[in-house]
Amino acid sequence: MIRHTGLAGAPSRLALIVATAAMGFTAGPALSNDKLVELAKDPANWVMTGRDYNAQNYSPMTEVNKETVKRLRPAWSFSTGVLNGHEGTPLVVGDVMYVHAPFPNTTFALDLNEPGHILWQNKPKQNPTARAVACCDVVNRGLAYWPGDSEVEPLILRTQLDGHIVALDAKTGETRWSMENSDIKVGSTLTIAPYVVKDLVLVGSSGAELGVRGYVTAYDVKTGEQKWRAFSTGPDEDVRLAADFNDANPHYGQKGLGLSTWEGDAWKIGGGTNWGWYAYDPTVDLFYYGSGNPAPWNETMRPGDNKWTMTIWGRKPEDGMAKFGYQKTPHDEWDYAGVNVMMLSDQKDKDGKERKLLTHPDRNGIVYTLDRTNGDLVSADKIDDTVNWTTGVQLDTGLPVRDPEFGTRMDHKATDICPSAMGYHNQGHDSYDPERRLFFMGINHICMDWEPFMLPYRAGQFFVGATLSMYPGPKGDRENALGLGQMKAYDAITGAFKWEVMERFAVWGGTMATAGGVTFYGTLDGFIKARDSDTGDLLWKYKLPSGVIGHPMTYQHDGRQYVAIYYGVGGWPGVGLVFDLADPTAGLGSVGAFRRLQEFTQQGGGVMVFSIDGQSPYSDDVHLGEYEVIQPGQKL
Amino acid sequence: MKTILTAAAFAVIAAGAAHAYDGTNCRAPGNCWEPKPGYPERIEGTEFDPLHDPKEVSKQGESLQAMDERNAKRVAHFKKTGEFIYDLSKIPAE
Repeated sequence: MIRHTGLAGAPSRLALIVATAAMGFTAGPALSNDKLVELAKDPANWVMTGRDYNAQNYSPMTEVNKETVKRLRPAWSFSTGVLNGHEGTPLVVGDVMYVHAPFPNTTFALDLNEPGHILWQNKPKQNPTARAVACCDVVNRGLAYWPGDSEVEPLILRTQLDGHIVALDAKTGETRWSMENSDIKVGSTLTIAPYVVKDLVLVGSSGAELGVRGYVTAYDVKTGEQKWRAFSTGPDEDVRLAADFNDANPHYGQKGLGLSTWEGDAWKIGGGTNWGWYAYDPTVDLFYYGSGNPAPWNETMRPGDNKWTMTIWGRKPEDGMAKFGYQKTPHDEWDYAGVNVMMLSDQKDKDGKERKLLTHPDRNGIVYTLDRTNGDLVSADKIDDTVNWTTGVQLDTGLPVRDPEFGTRMDHKATDICPSAMGYHNQGHDSYDPERRLFFMGINHICMDWEPFMLPYRAGQFFVGATLSMYPGPKGDRENALGLGQMKAYDAITGAFKWEVMERFAVWGGTMATAGGVTFYGTLDGFIKARDSDTGDLLWKYKLPSGVIGHPMTYQHDGRQYVAIYYGVGGWPGVGLVFDLADPTAGLGSVGAFRRLQEFTQQGGGVMVFSIDGQSPYSDDVHLGEYEVIQPGQKL
Repeated sequence: MKTILTAAAFAVIAAGAAHAYDGTNCRAPGNCWEPKPGYPERIEGTEFDPLHDPKEVSKQGESLQAMDERNAKRVAHFKKTGEFIYDLSKIPAE
């Protein structure tokens, strides 16, 4: 008995047009976020970055656990057909896996009943010039899914390096709409994954290394109509501050600071792009994200706190108005772009009070926990005791106390600053285990020397103005350029690390935790690893074709638990390898730090899917998907 | 539990005091930057003046406005007809 899933007949463009015209565009009920919440509860699905709105990368499944994880084997795999860095993670909705890829950002839909079958692929045509203004490899962090309503079928949302946000029909892959969000002519690109809240899709921005003033934009998911746009710098109306902005914490600063913490018009090219991750709490109706570094890297060229770069935001999705903003790194001097992952949890604080929290491991080496209802600072701990630019964060004032010895300034070469510009934590999407109340964090252990220089601003050209050398932190092997990463289990309330282990390279891609007591992550040297969530003991690993810079995901299909991960080294740590650079200060200083990477991995690109004993639809039925000669008149 | 910052905490540090910038001396809430010893309070007219060209600095804003206008035309046609056309030259005139 041969089973086929059959080719999905893509309706003609005209048929689609007629169908959508008949649907009209009246405002439907804003229940999409409820639908996404419902879909996320089913372990069969992984419907957004972070799996659900809490962005915990946590699965309640237990089939893969401390005992069975040793039996994990590859079930099937898929090559995307492109090299460069493969960040993020695939989405799974029902019987379909949606796979994204680096430039040119082709999207694939795979049939989980017969994974060898590509249901559809949507390959955009992009201006190759976009590659020239990408600071840190031509990566992309993922897709978003909108579950549809009575008028419009479900959609996949995609960002493109060339600045477009595009909606695709989830069933056919046909483009529904495509809008311009960022202009590569001024150095503005897109690498962030879109994020769906209600009937809106949120789109961030990239390009602070080219002086791009950062902004987040919301579009109507059905029509592509822009609903609002909020900038990180400039006048309050541009930054979209609510009337009660920071009323709970006036000492964070309130009105007028988007202008008054800059000299002159420097805010117009002031950076603060957001290219990281989002989280959303439907009960508080706020979404959370971080704005990036100010431009240029040369701190002497932009006196002031440079608000609101480097800020944790809580905004209303409907209108984008900010309820709170907490600036982590006033007047950045190290490129600690504050865009990292936001993980939501409900925990009792030190006083035994139940709190709705947000935990955020920042580039600057501090892991911040805030009350996500109003921005109260609950804890701010060093990710590693070797952080030296600050002696610590004052919880009452919210201010980091700077150690002037490790600041940067013109006409001075600062040395041994920890963390480096790559941060003690970068773009990896981490995880939280609500049973163990632990955050599993992929950490970098890299320090640097830094010397700024003066340079002009020309729209579309790089606007960095600093020369860097990077190398392993004090706990690594500086002589041999190894020992650049760590994995840690962290308690946000006590500030204690349950366990920590060193890694050969930075743990760049993030982590995933499961109720089976196992935490998964990928490594730059090409492994997917599983550690005991309680002890950190290494339980299992598998050598993938290439290094990992995305995070693992898991889903259930036909009652079986699968674990999937992208392979394909790249991103900032991989630029030396990807672009064949030798100067240690090239690649914004990462080339020297990762000069040993090429001894462990080469480029690749694809998805590897694992299951217990490697079971899959093909092991269930070896004839599945085989070619069968069709006799005349015979129907399939 | 909040600590209300006292007026003293916001006192502007006397100019020329040779203390290092540690980020805790605020002139106003959310405004705690100070020049480092030997560096100017304002860089305009100093050796560190970035001399930004206003024409270059305004290019991003102009580009955003142009993109928004193009998108608005695409959306208007899409909403009116149900047909999405990206290329503005192919959108029929009103």
